[in-house]
Amino acid sequence: MKTRHLAGNLFTLPWILTLLFFWLFPLLYSLYLGFTDYRLLKPDWTWVGLANYAALVSDRDFLDSLLNTFIFVFGTIPVTTVVALILALLIERRFPGRTLFRSGFFMPSITSMVVIALVFTNLYSRGGYIYLLTRMIGLSPPENGFLLSDKTALLSVMAMDVWMSVGYYMLLFLAGLKAIPDELYESADVAGASPFRKFRSITLPLLKPVALFIIVINTIKSFQVFIEIFVMTKGRYDTSTAVYFIYETGLNQFRFGYASAAAYVLFLIIAAFSILQFSLLRQRRLY
Amino acid sequence: MFASDSYCRDMKKYSHTAVITAVAAALLIMLACTGQDKPEGPVTLEWWQFWTDPAVKPVIEEMVTEYEAAHPGITVNLTDLTWANGHEKIVVAFSSGTAPDIVELGSDWIGEFAAAGQLAPLNDMIEDTARLVGWKPAVYNDTIYACPWILGTRVLFINRSLMEQAGLTDLDIPVNWDKFREVCYKIDSIGDDIYGFGSNAAEKHRLYKKFLPFFWSAGGNLFSEDFKYVTIAGNIGYKALMLYKELSDSCSMIDTQRRLEDAFLAGKIGIIISGDWLLRRIKNEKPGLDFVTTLMPGPVYPGSSFMGGEYLAISGSCPYPGEAMAFIEYIINAENQIRFAKANYSASPSNKEAARDEFFKEDINLQTFIKQINISKMPPAIPEWVYIENIIEEKLEQVLFEDAPPAQSLYDAKLEIEKLIHDK
Repeated sequence: MKTRHLAGNLFTLPWILTLLFFWLFPLLYSLYLGFTDYRLLKPDWTWVGLANYAALVSDRDFLDSLLNTFIFVFGTIPVTTVVALILALLIERRFPGRTLFRSGFFMPSITSMVVIALVFTNLYSRGGYIYLLTRMIGLSPPENGFLLSDKTALLSVMAMDVWMSVGYYMLLFLAGLKAIPDELYESADVAGASPFRKFRSITLPLLKPVALFIIVINTIKSFQVFIEIFVMTKGRYDTSTAVYFIYETGLNQFRFGYASAAAYVLFLIIAAFSILQFSLLRQRRLY
Repeated sequence: MFASDSYCRDMKKYSHTAVITAVAAALLIMLACTGQDKPEGPVTLEWWQFWTDPAVKPVIEEMVTEYEAAHPGITVNLTDLTWANGHEKIVVAFSSGTAPDIVELGSDWIGEFAAAGQLAPLNDMIEDTARLVGWKPAVYNDTIYACPWILGTRVLFINRSLMEQAGLTDLDIPVNWDKFREVCYKIDSIGDDIYGFGSNAAEKHRLYKKFLPFFWSAGGNLFSEDFKYVTIAGNIGYKALMLYKELSDSCSMIDTQRRLEDAFLAGKIGIIISGDWLLRRIKNEKPGLDFVTTLMPGPVYPGSSFMGGEYLAISGSCPYPGEAMAFIEYIINAENQIRFAKANYSASPSNKEAARDEFFKEDINLQTFIKQINISKMPPAIPEWVYIENIIEEKLEQVLFEDAPPAQSLYDAKLEIEKLIHDK
């Protein structure tokens, strides 16, 4: 028995050690750093208590980046979720070329974000296809392209993000739709329910766990938006987000203490939203 | 808020401490050198550098091989860095005590590493400073911390075909601001997708390098001589900014530097400010482009420009500073700088003797760069420079792209920079 335990412990040891050294230790160490004025090139760092957190509250750059993050999160999640659901409902029906559409919608999700961001940077620029298309239909795009304007840069990044992630969430919704027993729809047919009634009373309630999962992971992902900003705008034109601020502060200015504090503020915001979403979507019975 | 007396006292105290530290460090290095003039065993020098271009890297390797052959017992290990994350790697290496013996640094990084005590002072090791140009960013608190290697400045690139289409000749090549403005407007009037000037969008580390030449050319200085006050907000700063804004608003394509250069190569922009890398691009990608380079214009001819460059520094923890310095002397000698310039088609050697070589005289565009270097300016070696440039860029962006009042924005920049240097 003891040998079995020993073997089990030995097998799990690599994972436990990895967890301790590469996950738990950095997590706790960065929490500690958030209370110091640690800079990479400054050996004599000191404990500053809550000074970093107090400074963050009045740091205009941080507050702007938080605001942009909230705009990104609340602008993309509802659109992504609704479009993904609509696509899933359409794709679920049998029609010629269904597999092609499903693959097409999913393709952006398995493509490198950097590649997509570079392609869209070109599409959004003056002379790019999206720029020319908007002019062709009579709209007036910003003179220097979508990414070089305060008014459109963040919106353009958000639109690209929706386009990129909607296919993945569509697949999750499709899996949820497949799991709904056909008997429920057959019973509803017998009772003479309209398609909309079936959707509202069967499909939507039974997709609730999938929707919850999608909203939670999308919230976490969206709060951490970084690569798009890094590649497309470098935080210029009012597009700096919380993670980009942390990157700039930590890896360009090397103010690790301050950056760690900002990271924990973001962590608390994400945790609060995740808890809120779980409690809201779990409590209400929709059917 | 200007500097207080206590600030001045502190500054004096710090500069005394810095001088004493530098002298002590120099003495220690001298003692160390006398103790190990010829290290007993083999010496391995680690060199981190950024030149990975297929045309240049073999030349660097060749120089290293030749040096090793001429100095038995010395091995030089090359490690390549990239501009994307090289700075991060160097910072991490210094802070974790794993810095290389010799490291190539961008000119605006030297102050940061020197202030952190990570670089070896070189005053007593450099044979002759007069043979090189570009010392300003290498000197921190009166101590030399790096050797200028490859410098870089910016000049005007002008599309001659577009000038011709606009009814202009070589006699119209801008020599002052008035002519510059006139040529930009005339080229811009050729057609809808032709632009007179290429103006930089809000792009970090680039926009301020385009504005400062206008400011410097008009006789401006960023700081007062005692370095206590910022002098960007006066009449000169205002005039320079208004000209840049006028060009930007009226006759420019506004885009990132890379895309502006693409447009210049495509014949869409009449005048662009760029460095010698654009010469390489034209040579490789558009050899038939009819263009000319000229010195930056000012209110009067010629104007000043921004200069940066690549520097070679020795880590403070290097066990063989004498050998490292000897290797740096070898790399920056005239012969090797010419070899490097030929491979890279670059125009900015730090070595004056190299700059007089026939290679540069034969090429009119390289000559423009050589001339511009002698009248260009460099930012000071201060660890806060990265924040200062950020403040300048932020205010420029507000004026250029958000129509903020120029005078107020420059004054705000002055206040923010003064606060930064006084609070340090």
